[in-house]
Amino acid sequence: MRRAEHWKNVITLVGASVIVLLLLMAGVAAAEEIVLGSAISQTGKYAREGKFYVDAYTLTVDAVNKAGGIKVGGKTYQLALKLYDDQSDPSLSVRLFTKLVSSDKVNFLLGPYSSGITIPASAVAEKFEIPMIQGGGASGKIFDRGYKYIFGTLPKAELYFQSAIEAAAKMNPPVRTAALLFSNEAFDRSVAEGSRQWLKESRIDKVYDEEYQPATQDFTSILAVIKTKNPDLILVAGHEENSLNFIRQSQAAGVNPKMMVFTVGPPTGDFRKTLGKAAEYVYGVTPWLPDMEIGGDIFKSAREFDKQFQGRFGYAADYHVASGAADVLAFKAAIERAQSLDPKKVRDALAALDVETLYGRVKFESTGQINMSQVLVQILDGNVVPVYVNGKFVNKLVYPTPKWGERK
Amino acid sequence: MTTRPAPRRFATIAAAVVGIVLLGAAPGVLSPFMVQFVINLFMLAILAESWNIIGGFTGYASFGNVAFFGIGAYTTGVLMTKVGWPLAAALAAAGVVPMLFAALVGLPILRLKGHYFAIATLGVAETMREVVYNLEITGAGTGLVMPIARTPALFFYLMLGILIAVTLVNVWLAHSRFGYGLVAIREDEDAAAAMGIDTARYKTIAFALSGAFAGLTGGVFAYWITFIDPDAVFRVIVTIQMIIMAVFGGAGTVVGPLLGALVLASVSEILSTHLVALAELFNGVIVILVVLFMPKGLLEVVRAGRSSLRVMARNLREYRV
Amino acid sequence: MLLLQVLINGLLLGGLYGIMALGMSLIWGVMNIVNVAHGALIMLGAYLTFWMFSLWGIDPFVSLPLTILGLFVYGYCLQRYVLNLIVRAQLFLTLLITFGVEVVMINVARLLWSSDLRQVTPAYAAANFEVGQITIPWVRLWVFVTTLVLSVTFLFVLEHTRLGRAIRATSEELRAARLTGIPVAHIYAVTFGLGAALAGAAGGLWGMLFPITPVMGGSLTLKSFVVAVLGGLGTMMGAIVGGLVLGLTESFAGTYLGPTYPNAISFGLLVLILLLRPTGILGRRA
Repeated sequence: MRRAEHWKNVITLVGASVIVLLLLMAGVAAAEEIVLGSAISQTGKYAREGKFYVDAYTLTVDAVNKAGGIKVGGKTYQLALKLYDDQSDPSLSVRLFTKLVSSDKVNFLLGPYSSGITIPASAVAEKFEIPMIQGGGASGKIFDRGYKYIFGTLPKAELYFQSAIEAAAKMNPPVRTAALLFSNEAFDRSVAEGSRQWLKESRIDKVYDEEYQPATQDFTSILAVIKTKNPDLILVAGHEENSLNFIRQSQAAGVNPKMMVFTVGPPTGDFRKTLGKAAEYVYGVTPWLPDMEIGGDIFKSAREFDKQFQGRFGYAADYHVASGAADVLAFKAAIERAQSLDPKKVRDALAALDVETLYGRVKFESTGQINMSQVLVQILDGNVVPVYVNGKFVNKLVYPTPKWGERK
Repeated sequence: MTTRPAPRRFATIAAAVVGIVLLGAAPGVLSPFMVQFVINLFMLAILAESWNIIGGFTGYASFGNVAFFGIGAYTTGVLMTKVGWPLAAALAAAGVVPMLFAALVGLPILRLKGHYFAIATLGVAETMREVVYNLEITGAGTGLVMPIARTPALFFYLMLGILIAVTLVNVWLAHSRFGYGLVAIREDEDAAAAMGIDTARYKTIAFALSGAFAGLTGGVFAYWITFIDPDAVFRVIVTIQMIIMAVFGGAGTVVGPLLGALVLASVSEILSTHLVALAELFNGVIVILVVLFMPKGLLEVVRAGRSSLRVMARNLREYRV
Repeated sequence: MLLLQVLINGLLLGGLYGIMALGMSLIWGVMNIVNVAHGALIMLGAYLTFWMFSLWGIDPFVSLPLTILGLFVYGYCLQRYVLNLIVRAQLFLTLLITFGVEVVMINVARLLWSSDLRQVTPAYAAANFEVGQITIPWVRLWVFVTTLVLSVTFLFVLEHTRLGRAIRATSEELRAARLTGIPVAHIYAVTFGLGAALAGAAGGLWGMLFPITPVMGGSLTLKSFVVAVLGGLGTMMGAIVGGLVLGLTESFAGTYLGPTYPNAISFGLLVLILLLRPTGILGRRA
């Protein structure tokens, strides 16, 4: 190698490094704004659910600003959003959150979607001591590490099926046997852990208890085995795609339980649209419905929120959306309560928060997670109908579920 | 390959030492975000250099090196969270376990050639991911949550140290008989065997070295990112990134993978944060363009200076039907 | 009878796996190109079928020939104007470039059609019939029959037409093929087009059973690898046989071992076959 070539190599290396350094040093300065930062899944396997949060955050921030912003110590601030795409990748999420805190210098953080990404992302918030409120992760594992700076508006995953199982035991004729199927992921495993306990307490016999890979698309083997056990109740913990596949294939396989409950899917409009008539009689759980008699600052009622949301984005709001909106509103309330932008003071205000919103009562337990009960809903005539709320049956439900072959 | 004249060798080493000292001061000078970026950059550079050992020098293009990375990450993860080992010991294990695994798996797999070898290594990586997905001790689908580390400088120096080590190994390969042996295997394995080189042993050692460094990096990564699950540490795209960085910079050279990592990681980072939706698309386009126009690496094109365009055009035509 | 049900499930799915791998095996066998973008081609076929169904109401079985034609044209152009440029390069470079193609295709699909789940749902989608205690979904049966028809047709073309002979000649002895006047660049493009067409057909059929997303192809590419290697690279019958073997293995493993095992077993099988008998079940020793 001649001398000139050798130095060309070195200069290329050095030159590239310098350019890179300069390009990356560009930071963002904030004016009379309170900036909420987040990395959300806009592409990748969580893109669908991630969009719910992007839209929810956007709508709520605009609504708060339109209503006059946030007043702190005599000054009025506008809320601003800074969003990145984590591509459904936990490591990218960690880097982006670190960027938000150290380079973009945002004031506070909003959470990502899914427990799997929230667990590492919240570690960043804890490390830099900036409060993060997330509405997309429900697993107890997010909150059992003794962190002080993470708050969540989704109720505990372990409690998800509690009301469903309670209701099942009270049905006429009562549910005697159940099959539990859950995805190999943080959230769903937590749901399953809790479900085993509720099933035992309700004295329902668990005849099937299996885990499946999240990427599973073919449930035929699983359904073949479940069919031989003939359970009254089937509980499926998974994400929307899993629920869709399972229902379709249970129809094709001729599996007819008295009740089928899913963690994700039924309350979402897209789910019902994709399945059409096959979605009838399916049960789901949700902590929020637009008909609920709840409301608060900025959005006077859940109904009004849903209307504004649909008007702007063209699809109905579900609990993911409401949860995301609640996150922004919780920050507003906490900042106003603390009358300060200091992260520690806002964090303390959040820990003591107790405020009514379109999402319901926002009050965090000592772990940082909200405590809300899940409403059991059933899809009837294409509508999401609440059937079991706070220990009581409401509205008429259809039980047992008519067999596939006997439906009109 | 002839050894370089003494004064120039001295200049190179001096420059390297100065560079390292400067880098060493970086954590105190750069913003936390930049430190994170550089740590990530070091990691990719290590992976590219480690792949270079088996893929660049030996010519056995492994498409499953992320398996070693993942095994290293989980070794550290399990040892620290389930068995309570301290960081140092857990990291040492993260280097040793994948190395042994590579040697073991390499014995049968290195007998395959070309596509078969590539697919087999890919299969090994996928199998390892599924295995980890199913075991309780690795946390299955939930993953492992590591203890929080509040000192980013630690990871910076760890990665820098590993990077220096793997680069030195590459330098050694470029100048040693063992390294010449690997190159001989790459150029014509039968002739190499005929010359008396124990090809099986050489290949296995190269594979094991490659695995050791990838594993070490995985171990540091696990502690750095605080949380690992199978999808995070056994991703096929990480192997592809290693390969494209090495190829782009110049596979089989010492500086090539470093350069490739620096340029491509930076471009990718800039795209991720500014052109969010198109970032991945651009990554794919870059891969296509690099293979078409610079399959022998960026250095080949840069060295041509004014004739770079002509070199690229020639590359375009060189492998066509 | 669970055993019989599991067997039938495995066979029905296996037929689909076979047709998926057929395209990959052809391209690999003739041009020595391992097409990592194979899954993306399947995805494209699925989307074409979906859009024809949801925009114009065309039944998916009826639109299948159109999907096949569309993918053939796409594959032809891809090979003729991009992949033909690196055919003689080192093997791993071709792997890399097809990977780049895959990433580009997935992201363009995402930009055009978003990541929303799509599904092709004709009226008969979930209909089934019972034979004793066995339940057989109609769609799966028709899909299986279609795969058989397509495979037989394809094998016929390869063995008994001039085009097929030209393809086989080019794969066996490139120089001789050139000397006899076979336009190699064109034949390569046709071959890839055929492989893409088969992938497209597989996608259209797959879309009738499972949801369609831009990223659905990744796991399908890997499965196609397993099937192609299992059955024997370059042998078309091998792809069919490999598909059935994989379908049965997954069905049995999923039922009797547990739902989380099928994937691990598939990949383990791949590695084992490569080590013990790389030429696969039906392959000849190289």
